[in-house]
Amino acid sequence: MKFSVSRDALLKPLQLVAGVVEKRQTLPVLSNVLMQLRGQELSLTGTDLEVEIVGRLPVTGVDLEGEVTVPARKLVDICRSLPDDAELKFERDGERMILRSGRSRFMLSTLPTNDFPNQEEADAKASFDIPQAEIRRLVEATGFAMAQQDVRYYLNGLLLECRPQQLRAVATDGHRLAMCDRDVPGINVAEPIQAIVPRKGILELARLLEDSDAPASVVLGNNHIRVSNSQFTFTSKLVDGKFPDYERVLPKGGSKEIYADRLELRQALSRAAILSNEKYRGVRLQLSDGQLQIVANNPEQEEAEEIISVDYHGETLEIGFNVSYLLDVTAVVASDQIRITLADSNSSALLQQPEDGDSVYVIMPMRL
Amino acid sequence: MFSFHARNSANTVYNRSMRKIIHADCDCFYASVEMRDDPNLRGKPIAVGGSSQRRGVISTCNYEARRFGVRSAMATAHAVRLCPDLVVVPGNMKKYREVSQSIREIFLEYTDRIEPLSLDEAYLDVSDSAHCQGSATLIAEEIRARVREQLHITISAGVAPNKFLAKVASDWNKPDGLFVIRPDQVEAFVHQLAVRKIHGVGRVTAEKLHNMGIQTCADLRRFSKLDLARSFGKFGQRLYELARGIDERGVSSDRRRKSASVEHTFSEDIDGLEQWQRELARLYERLTERLQKMDDRYRISGAFVKVKYHDFTSMSQERANKSCRISEFRHLLGLCWEKRSDPIRLLGVGVKLIDLQDDGGPLQYELWPEEKKTVAPVREPL
Repeated sequence: MKFSVSRDALLKPLQLVAGVVEKRQTLPVLSNVLMQLRGQELSLTGTDLEVEIVGRLPVTGVDLEGEVTVPARKLVDICRSLPDDAELKFERDGERMILRSGRSRFMLSTLPTNDFPNQEEADAKASFDIPQAEIRRLVEATGFAMAQQDVRYYLNGLLLECRPQQLRAVATDGHRLAMCDRDVPGINVAEPIQAIVPRKGILELARLLEDSDAPASVVLGNNHIRVSNSQFTFTSKLVDGKFPDYERVLPKGGSKEIYADRLELRQALSRAAILSNEKYRGVRLQLSDGQLQIVANNPEQEEAEEIISVDYHGETLEIGFNVSYLLDVTAVVASDQIRITLADSNSSALLQQPEDGDSVYVIMPMRL
Repeated sequence: MFSFHARNSANTVYNRSMRKIIHADCDCFYASVEMRDDPNLRGKPIAVGGSSQRRGVISTCNYEARRFGVRSAMATAHAVRLCPDLVVVPGNMKKYREVSQSIREIFLEYTDRIEPLSLDEAYLDVSDSAHCQGSATLIAEEIRARVREQLHITISAGVAPNKFLAKVASDWNKPDGLFVIRPDQVEAFVHQLAVRKIHGVGRVTAEKLHNMGIQTCADLRRFSKLDLARSFGKFGQRLYELARGIDERGVSSDRRRKSASVEHTFSEDIDGLEQWQRELARLYERLTERLQKMDDRYRISGAFVKVKYHDFTSMSQERANKSCRISEFRHLLGLCWEKRSDPIRLLGVGVKLIDLQDDGGPLQYELWPEEKKTVAPVREPL
């Protein structure tokens, strides 16, 4: 097994593949990347048994196809520290992989490839092509609301729902929820099909995809999801659980509609947040005709007060929120204005782009 | 221009030195109940605990047994070596709970501000009690007399202006004793109080204090708050206050859980990480059952494991964590193993809890309030 490749061509796919490799491993082979040489193509595979990423790139000077696994972290570190324009020559020598570049030489240990676990082929329940940018948009619009290490393990991921000609993403941590819909003409399903992709998988997937219309193909199976383009194949196990009934918590009939300048609101909130309780992050919103007042207090008895003008006519209302939840939403909504719909101080808030938005956000209030 | 606002707290502080706290503590409770119900046991050294054949430990022993050096938490086998005539009887928790409930009913006639510490021990705040002309000393005497007459066991009591001193006082004239520290005696009492009498000062802290030349609270008072914080961390600040007889903790009748745990003492030492992990899986199931039965006012904030080695030294590991998957416990147990890979006689697993109803602080509403947050069974990804 022998090939050459430029540092620049190798580094990016290698880093993306090595990204899934966990630092601490129970199985030594999981610290390695699998290198497979077929024809003029090298594929690199990294896995943590839950998420697997395969990167493919063309190489030159191929002599003898073959496959081997080498330590991921060390290989990344070596490639990263070589000069930008370096040419790398790999050659397998028995149990070792020799890497030469200019006057540098590295001899890496290897582990047998038959120990390397591979994700089984997905059994397709749905498969479709989708512009990569669409998946990126879905993750960007909702990913922040996923739970982290929640006992309700089915919340530690993103719900992807294949609907007729539409792909929907929903994320929630039980306190707030984000939902985004994108039109995908290629989806042909009669009934919605749901899959929960684990948090880590979603974050890795977003890193892989380009912000372009180049298509990726998605295969959704019973236990796996596979997304691939010309350079990568991403496979993730699905979370085996039932996502809560999210449609039930989308508020209907909130009578108080507020239109605010999104950036102005965001800046006022982030200033007020400085003096909110570090643990609970609560802020009090006082809504009155044409005006929104934001007040934050902390246990040190410090206080922040912000007043912004808003488009609102109606009764006054006082309602508390975790300011982080409001900041997250005001960061991802794309429009200049944001619409907030409220009912009373014990009911959820609905936040969205005033018109033609693809996303809605629901935040439960906080009793302060 | 500066402006000052009077803080509310300044106006609501009431004179804490006026508080009257009783610490009531039954004398060798389980053993007393057993001796009460079986006259044959009286006058003999007896202990309630597990049998030495099954590697049991002593739960409680009477004063006759204590003369031989028998103590709580000692391996029964060891206790029998110290005191060959020791009669070891198995415990009957149901009975003890009933007696404890009867004692509590006596307490309730004097105050409803009762903070039980265990079945045989409680703090009573009788500051506002109208009984016995408001004399805490007389209330304590009455309680002791009634427990003796109605339940035929003895209970010691300490009376003081705060919990710390009341607890020290109940131990002062044990067994069957009463000791009172009046507000005007606090200063003199604390002055001569040995630091090892302070609750929370164990062997290690006591040694450290002695090395600093500290034997009594008077010695302790020579050190600044900062000095003590440097040597003892958070506990140092508490020592600073206790040495001055200050303890502002209230008697809270609603005792909140800070943790939930299960543990098991093995009939034979468990050796090898694999064996440890196997036992862990069993305990984890029990813990899961416990958590499912628990009030959903609690949220899990951390996981911990505890092992006791064959030589009775313990080690524990904990980590903040919301999910408490079994992998978390496995990891923590692995850390114990890395630190010391010797056979163990006891294994415990538990979770730290946050009381969501605590302090009436901010409350984040849930989107799906019916979905319990405390349920622990988490399916592991492979």
